[in-house]
Amino acid sequence: MKVLTLVMLLCYSFAFSSGDTTIHTNNWAVLVCTSRFWFNYRHMANTLSLYRTVKRLGIPDERIILMLADDMACNARNEYPAQVFNNENHKLNLYGDNVEVDYRGYEVTVENFLRVLTGRHENAVPRSKRLLSDEGSHILLYMTGHGGDEFLKFQDAEELQSHDLADAVKQMKEKRRFKELMIMVDTCQAATLFNQLQSPDVLAIGSSLKGENSYSHHLDSDVGVSVVDRFTYYTLAFFERLNIYDNASLNSLFRSYDPKLLMSTAYYRTDLYQPHLAEVPVTNFFGSVMETLHTDSVYKAFSSKTSNNKINSEMPLNQLSEHDELQKANIQNDELKTEKQKCPYTQMRVDLHKKLEKLENVDTVVNLGIAVMLLVVMVSSSLL
Amino acid sequence: MASEKRDKEEEEVKTDDGSPKIKPRPIVQLGIFLVAHSPVFSVVFSAAGVLALLILPLLAKNTYISENALMPGSARSMLSNRDVSDGSKLVKDIKNYWLNHEGQVQKLIGKYMSDMGAEVYYQKFHPEGNQFHPLHFFSGPDSYTLLDNVSCASYGVNVAGIIRAPRGDGKESIVLVTPYDFINGGDYEALSLGITSTLFSLLARVTWLSKDIIWLVTDSRYGDYRPVAAWLTEYHSPSFKVSDLLKCGELNTADTFRRAGTVAAALVLKVDGRSERFEDTLSIYAEASNGQMPNLDLINVVNYLAVHRQGFYVKVEKVVSLLSSSWLKIIGEIFEAVGKLARTLNPDWNFGIPAADYLEGSATLASSLYSQALGIPTGPHGAFRDYQVDAITLKISPRFPPDSKTRQHDFFLRGARLLEGTIRSVNNLLEKFHQSFFLYLLTSPSKFISVGVYMIAFALLVAPLPMVAASLYIEGCKALTKSTDNPTENLKSWKWLDAAKQVFALHLLGFIVTLLPYFICQVPGQHSPRNRSIMWGTTSSSLLLITFAIIPGCSPFSSRHHGTNWAVLKSVTISAAFIGLCLMSIINFATAEIGALLLVPTCLMAQPIKPALRSRRIKSLLGAFCSMVLLTIGFPVMFFAISKGLFGEAVVGLSLGGEFWTWLESLWAWKSATYLYIGMVHLPCWLLCLCILFHPS
Repeated sequence: MKVLTLVMLLCYSFAFSSGDTTIHTNNWAVLVCTSRFWFNYRHMANTLSLYRTVKRLGIPDERIILMLADDMACNARNEYPAQVFNNENHKLNLYGDNVEVDYRGYEVTVENFLRVLTGRHENAVPRSKRLLSDEGSHILLYMTGHGGDEFLKFQDAEELQSHDLADAVKQMKEKRRFKELMIMVDTCQAATLFNQLQSPDVLAIGSSLKGENSYSHHLDSDVGVSVVDRFTYYTLAFFERLNIYDNASLNSLFRSYDPKLLMSTAYYRTDLYQPHLAEVPVTNFFGSVMETLHTDSVYKAFSSKTSNNKINSEMPLNQLSEHDELQKANIQNDELKTEKQKCPYTQMRVDLHKKLEKLENVDTVVNLGIAVMLLVVMVSSSLL
Repeated sequence: MASEKRDKEEEEVKTDDGSPKIKPRPIVQLGIFLVAHSPVFSVVFSAAGVLALLILPLLAKNTYISENALMPGSARSMLSNRDVSDGSKLVKDIKNYWLNHEGQVQKLIGKYMSDMGAEVYYQKFHPEGNQFHPLHFFSGPDSYTLLDNVSCASYGVNVAGIIRAPRGDGKESIVLVTPYDFINGGDYEALSLGITSTLFSLLARVTWLSKDIIWLVTDSRYGDYRPVAAWLTEYHSPSFKVSDLLKCGELNTADTFRRAGTVAAALVLKVDGRSERFEDTLSIYAEASNGQMPNLDLINVVNYLAVHRQGFYVKVEKVVSLLSSSWLKIIGEIFEAVGKLARTLNPDWNFGIPAADYLEGSATLASSLYSQALGIPTGPHGAFRDYQVDAITLKISPRFPPDSKTRQHDFFLRGARLLEGTIRSVNNLLEKFHQSFFLYLLTSPSKFISVGVYMIAFALLVAPLPMVAASLYIEGCKALTKSTDNPTENLKSWKWLDAAKQVFALHLLGFIVTLLPYFICQVPGQHSPRNRSIMWGTTSSSLLLITFAIIPGCSPFSSRHHGTNWAVLKSVTISAAFIGLCLMSIINFATAEIGALLLVPTCLMAQPIKPALRSRRIKSLLGAFCSMVLLTIGFPVMFFAISKGLFGEAVVGLSLGGEFWTWLESLWAWKSATYLYIGMVHLPCWLLCLCILFHPS
């Protein structure tokens, strides 16, 4: 009995307060450029630059949701057709072969953005356009465009307000769609966008304080437009020095922003985020470093899981990983205990299965069963 | 007017019961107060209106690029020496062509265009100018349907080349116009072809075009305006009838008239005369018909690029004679002193500008106001405005003689860079120009006065009219029926109907007089403008006499005792003037402003001269004298002569009639609403004031 209550308690604790103990297993990035029009070239270049950086640091393309409100590469005004640059030296074409834009043009709306965050999609939306994160995910949300006091303009028609963002993040937290979330915003008065955030484990950084503008970095006089914003430019400058194995902390990133160079004050909101910034590597958000787990046998660790799967096929995917972590946590526990650390329903099914195995005379049981079934069929047909 | 009525109703309530039952609302009280003290307020408001007009140069703001998408000067110029040498070669070839061949320079230009990769076509058009037709006044651009009975005797040929945007959608285009006289084009004119050819050579190979570029070389033998208008008509309203013109001449123009998309903007380039200054001078002309202006952003872009990138000296037209006027200088000095004083009181009040700046500003403002009021386009760009296309004319005066080869290269480079920058900015646009102002007055190429500011002067000027009309009406009604006991009945009575009849009759007369020139033009035989104006004058005055004879009580000379009361007549006249001015301010603000300056004092001062002479009091004599002077100035012909004198052209004697006729003819030929205003608002109101002056009361 004692054992059972312990199991129940454990189950509860894992089901309802998972955040603290779950382990970071995967990384996602949502990169959004919200503005249209040729003169907003730099916003698209910002987003594409960040896309390139997070890809370089290890987040695979299927885990990046890239939203671009306009197509600058194929704009008739672009002197370099099908190319986008973030520097006037034109050394790096950001719009190469491997760019997968998930939402583009008029698809980039507040509605679609919120759907991506909260995961409430219509059935027809393909998996590649969904943020399929789980409670072990670290998500990087990067947004750039034209903003103001507590809003961010989408296209030329609508706005995302700070309340909308806070609400979406809260829903994500409730639905356990992330372990940690980092929001990075490069707009004017970016800091105001975070005012309504309440959910834990959210780290927010914006390019400017309330009343400040975010400025572009430089003008490319061949293309005839500004090609990158200051905040993003210095962010990229920081990441260019890093590789996938670097251990630079978030603190060092935040310290790299010089208000004189930015011409605005970078703002970070850390009150919702417990870990010490100096100890968190930037690759926690901007890269995808997965811890590898060494097991003696390849299939042994999965055997119990597969049986579970057979028994309860409706079990969602994230619960599997939960088990995974559970096993890691109780790595010293013996086999039996690990077996028993399942939900009561599963336990019942297992017990039933065992009882069935204990039955000796299987044939008679089967025959009796058939007779009973025949009786039932006859009765029901006569009634009809 | 509605509030006035309410005023009267409120007053009724008061007088009915002896004591006011309900306290009238504050706005009504204010209205009553204003009407009661109308003489004082009318003086104050009129003076304030004139003062506001004088202050305008001080209130001018610096222009700024309002549309984000324009981004002028952000792209580096891509012009190369090869492009410039293309331009120089064309100019040289044209000169040689004059020496060796006869006519058909168009072909040479067309060949150059097609060599650069443009689609070329020739358009033949009729040089027939605008004809006054009263019914077509506001009907927009003519359709020129009179193509049936054309002769090959005289026709013009425009050359146009289109560069298609390599990756554009072909829905929009930018037009470059260079007027050129194909028969006897001067050296300076050829330079404008050189600049545009330099630019065209570049545009044919760039990858950043999103709008098609049309280069139109118009046949300026038939004026600057007409060929452009003919091309635009054909561009916008294709005729499916084969014109006889196609068969004329040796140039094969059977190929189709090609089009690109909607015209987003147009630039007319002219090179002419030698600059008097050390730098090359760029003059910007923007006024189109009826005072319409292109979007201010277009002027801003050109001005910004010309001043900050290419180092041109940019100017807009100004009234030169005002620069040396001493009274304006004194006013400028007064404003300067007031500005300095204000700054010592509060450092934030820095509205004062130096007297010299004020003088420049007012001279430019006067020119801007005058050009808009005249309603005649100041260049070929006016034809574009009829199709709601923003367009300006750029007139460049180089500082070197046209045959200087060494300077020419640099000149082409800078001129073409200016155009390239402008075109690149317009090319960046996603929508029509809409962000900046359409209603403005310029006080310098980089300073403007927006509609919100300059309307104040007009509003102050016309504000006394309804007040005085109301007070005169009350006064007149009282005077009419002194005998009857109930004054309320008088206010309700239809006493004003007699006066309204007279006002209506004279407005009708004005309408007929306005239409008369059309019939005078139909009179067979050649007549000099002077004779025509005499014909017009005699017909009009005889019509006036007939009106006086037919309609009883209309004439100021009728001795009938129960003629209309002059106060009521004046009240109705003022109301009519007020309505006319307000309507005109919507159509063409500048006309209304200048008209109000003339008409408002005349209407306010008008009073019968006989009682004044009889009373022999100095005050009334002075009033009568003032009203006579104002009436003399207010006569359109007189005002024309005075303004001519102000502009430094003395016109005397009988030639004045001819000059006036020619001036009016130009007004109706350009379909200027100012013509209608003169005939249908100013003239009747002036006649009515005359009637009041000679009223037998």
